[in-house]
Order: sequence, then structure tokens, then C-alpha cells
Amino acid sequence: MGTVVEFKNVTYTYPLSEKPAIKNMSFKIEEGKFYGVIGENGSGKTTLCSLVRGFAPDFYKGTLEGEVLVDGKPTTEYGPGELALKFGYVFQNPFNQISGVKDTVFEEVAFGLENFGFDPDEIEQRVTDVMELTDITAIALKNPFELSGGQQQRVALASTIVLKPDILVIDEPTSQLDPEGTESVFKIISEMKNEHKTILLVEHKVDLLAEYADEILVLKDSELIKAGPKQEILSDISLLKKNVQLPQMSILGNELRKLGLPIKNIPITEDQAVDIVKSHLAKGGKS
Amino acid sequence: MFREKLSAVKENPIAALYPTTKGWIVILYCICVTALSTVKVNGYALYLIPLFLMIPVLFAVSGIWEKFFGFFKSIFIFVAFIFIVQTLLIRSDAVLFRFGFLSIYEDGLQHAIFLCFIILNIAGILLWLFQTTETKEMTYALEKMGMSYKASFVFLSTFQMIEVLGKSSKTIMNAQRARGIETEGNIIVRCKAFFPMIVPLVVSSIMNTEERVLTLECRGFDTKCPKTRLLELKKSGNEAKAIVISVIVTAAVLIGRILLWVL
Repeated sequence: MGTVVEFKNVTYTYPLSEKPAIKNMSFKIEEGKFYGVIGENGSGKTTLCSLVRGFAPDFYKGTLEGEVLVDGKPTTEYGPGELALKFGYVFQNPFNQISGVKDTVFEEVAFGLENFGFDPDEIEQRVTDVMELTDITAIALKNPFELSGGQQQRVALASTIVLKPDILVIDEPTSQLDPEGTESVFKIISEMKNEHKTILLVEHKVDLLAEYADEILVLKDSELIKAGPKQEILSDISLLKKNVQLPQMSILGNELRKLGLPIKNIPITEDQAVDIVKSHLAKGGKS
Repeated sequence: MFREKLSAVKENPIAALYPTTKGWIVILYCICVTALSTVKVNGYALYLIPLFLMIPVLFAVSGIWEKFFGFFKSIFIFVAFIFIVQTLLIRSDAVLFRFGFLSIYEDGLQHAIFLCFIILNIAGILLWLFQTTETKEMTYALEKMGMSYKASFVFLSTFQMIEVLGKSSKTIMNAQRARGIETEGNIIVRCKAFFPMIVPLVVSSIMNTEERVLTLECRGFDTKCPKTRLLELKKSGNEAKAIVISVIVTAAVLIGRILLWVL
């Protein structure tokens, strides 16, 4: 797998701010992998996404030290709109992602393709397919502003996916959604993973990341304190001391281990926990 | 399948006219209003009154007769207020009526009729245009005439955002009411409630702008390439006839006005 994004000793400070929002960060994002980004509020997760996409420093201005490379080229060297087909970006607030110039969901999803000058027949085909994928066909002729938060977020995802970007940057897409809406958004993201898209997802719901992500990046106080495969990171109980949220199953597994249960690998998902319990029961419940 | 449903099919031949044709009709009508407003009968711009009767006729032949009453109701209070203020406040030597301490002067009545029927005529014709033409149709037609993509976006989003901001203000109003701010009562109470409502509305709109700009950037708004439009605007075939009739009527009005000057 090739590297699609690389941070080389990146430090970024917003204009009028004295403290950097990202400090001396270095890591690589590999093609086709699903990265989960976790950390406390204000730890720099959204800034990280803005740097990956090239919004910072191009749009936000500020000071960038080090380099953010996309396909080996610094983001600062890309022209306006050049990264739009490479990256899909989904923001936290679905309401703000509605263009405000379209009367129907169908037109809203097609808006990006219209901007890139695609053929109308291709637009219709792509929009129809993506509406099917995101389960919004039934609301295709509704006004996007009249939808619920969950439906609006699915429309926002559809509007991004329809451009067929190689990399999806998704910033807390479920923060305003109910469990049902959250589940539907994760199903769509998981479909994207199956299509071998590279995904960078900022999310507080670590239990869902444990299920879907490949790699986890942990941010604290503007620094990358840990990065690696999800099993290794999310089972590291020492992270709790650094106020990093871990999956319920990791905490449970650790507690059971403390009670003397012979758990070799701390589980991070329900399935893993169930397997451990099953194997323990199969042994007659003995330590 | 969905593309066919994007453009509303208009059965009425007048309502189905091409947006720019309707735009020309509005412009020619405004020229007629301007010309007839200068024709005075004993100092009164009385020709504006029969011209205004054209508006309900236009609504009727466009198949939206019932919408005329809605328009009239919404503008009536505004026009009546202007009429009363003009008739009572503009004074001259000639008093027409006297009701106790209130006097209606000739100049006041002349100004009131002039101003009110100009407002009614222009508001009426603009409303006819917007009732028979969707904003997106208008924008697309203007874009075809050479208006920039960015300008058409601003035009279209402004119309949509009025509705969205209206909804947001209601939400904020309910939230402020839940916090104990009185929003109903006399004019002073309403004025006091206005600031706790308008400040969050404006601040949140400004804060959201940044994210909206980035969303547009992500969706290729700034990309330098020819844009596609899914909306198809078709001409009804009656455009030439409509323009010819409008031009003839406007020419007749202008010639009549010039003859009145000359003779």
C-alpha cells in the first residue's frame, strides 16, 4: 500500500493564536486504510483534518512549519479546487453542508458533479446509485432543509461520495445524531472501506471505531501521542490515565483480567469479548 | 427519472413563458407605469388606476388568480398606511375635507394616489413574475444571458436563505422564550425581545459562513471548468407573441404620452 498523505514534523498555529494547534506531528496515511482519530476536545483533531485537506494554511492562513504531503506534493502547492476530487470532506454540522441553492435532495447531491461539468446522464446515474447506497432515494424530491439531522448527514455523505474521492476526511459526523442515525452513517462509511477508499474519521464513539477502523491516531494537547493498529492502541489501558476514551470492552476486559481471568489479549469489540467468555466457559470457567 | 421531475410542467401558456421574456414584460410594464405617472388629470395620476387593473387580469390569465388576493391582502396595510400618512401630512392651500382636527389637502391626496398606485403597480408586476417563475429558472435564464456563476449562486442562495433564516429565528425565539424572555405583548416588550433573538441569529450565521465556504470548495465550486445544469429550460413558443404585444402596448402608451406633451 502506498502512502497518500504524509505529515513531516508539522507544527501549525492559527492566526492571532500564540499556541500551536498541532505540534511537531509526523505520520503517514496509507492508501485503502481506515484511520480513526481520537482525543479530547481541543486536542487538534479538526485542525489535523484541515491540514490533511489543505484548508490550513490556505484558507485559515496561520503559520505552518514542516510539510503536509499529498501524493508526495505539499498541499500548499495545489491550486484552488485541485484537491476537491482527491478528497471528500464531511463536516460535523450537516446543516452547514447544504448548498442552499437546491430545492431537492437529488439536485443537492448532484451539485458537486455539476460544478465539475460532468455529463447530465452520468450525473443522473451516479446520483441515483449513491442515493441507493446511502438510503436516501425515498427523500430524493424533498427539500434538503426540511430533513432531520440524520437524513441531512446522509445527504452530506452522499454529496461527498458521489464525487468518488480517493480519500474521505470525516469530522465527527455523528456528533448530532441519534444511535440509529449514527449506525446508518457508519454503515455507509464501512461501505466506503469495502470500496478501498482511504478514510480518516474523527470520532468520539470509540466502540464504533474499534469495530470499523484499521488504525488509530491518538491526539492530546495538540500532539500525536500514539498511533498504530486499533487492537494495539484501543487495548492499551494506560491511555485511560491520559483521559483517552477506550471501548467499553477494553475496560471490561481489563477489569476481568484484574479479577484473575486469564485474558491474553484485551478485547476491544463485543465479538472479541464474547469469544473470550466462550473459550473461558468451554474450559469449565477455571482460571 | 428524477431529472424529468426537476422542472415544473406549466400548462398555462402565459405562466410557461421563458423567464427572460417575463423579465422583459416586467421592464416594459414599469416603463408604462413611469410614463402614465406623469399624466395628470387635475393634478391626479389617475391613469395609474386602470393600469393597476391589468395586474389582476395578468394573474387571472396566468392561472394564478387566487394568489392575487394573497398579494393584495399582504400589501394593503402597507399601502393604506402610506396613503393615510401622505394625505394627512402633505399640506397645501386647498383643503378638500375636514374631520375635526384632521384635514385632507389636495396636494396630499395627489401625492397619496401617485405613490400608492406606483407601489401597487410595481409590486404587483414583480409578484406576478415571482409567482409564475421559480427562482432557479430565473437564475438559470440570467446565467444563460451571461451572468457569472458566482453571482447566480449569490442570487439563488439569498432567496433560499431568507426562508432558512426565518426558520432559525423562530427556533431562537422559542429557545429565548424557554429561558424566560417575554416575546409577546406591546411594542416595547417585542422590541426588547428583538435583540436577544437577532444577536444569536446574526452571530451563528456569520460563524456558519466559514464552514459553508469550505463545503463549496469541497464540492468544486471554485473549479475552473464549464458547469453543467441539470435543469432544462424550454421555451413555450409564445415568447415572440408576448414580446410583440408588450412592445406594441408600451409604444402606444409612450406615443400617447408624447402626443399629450406636444398637443
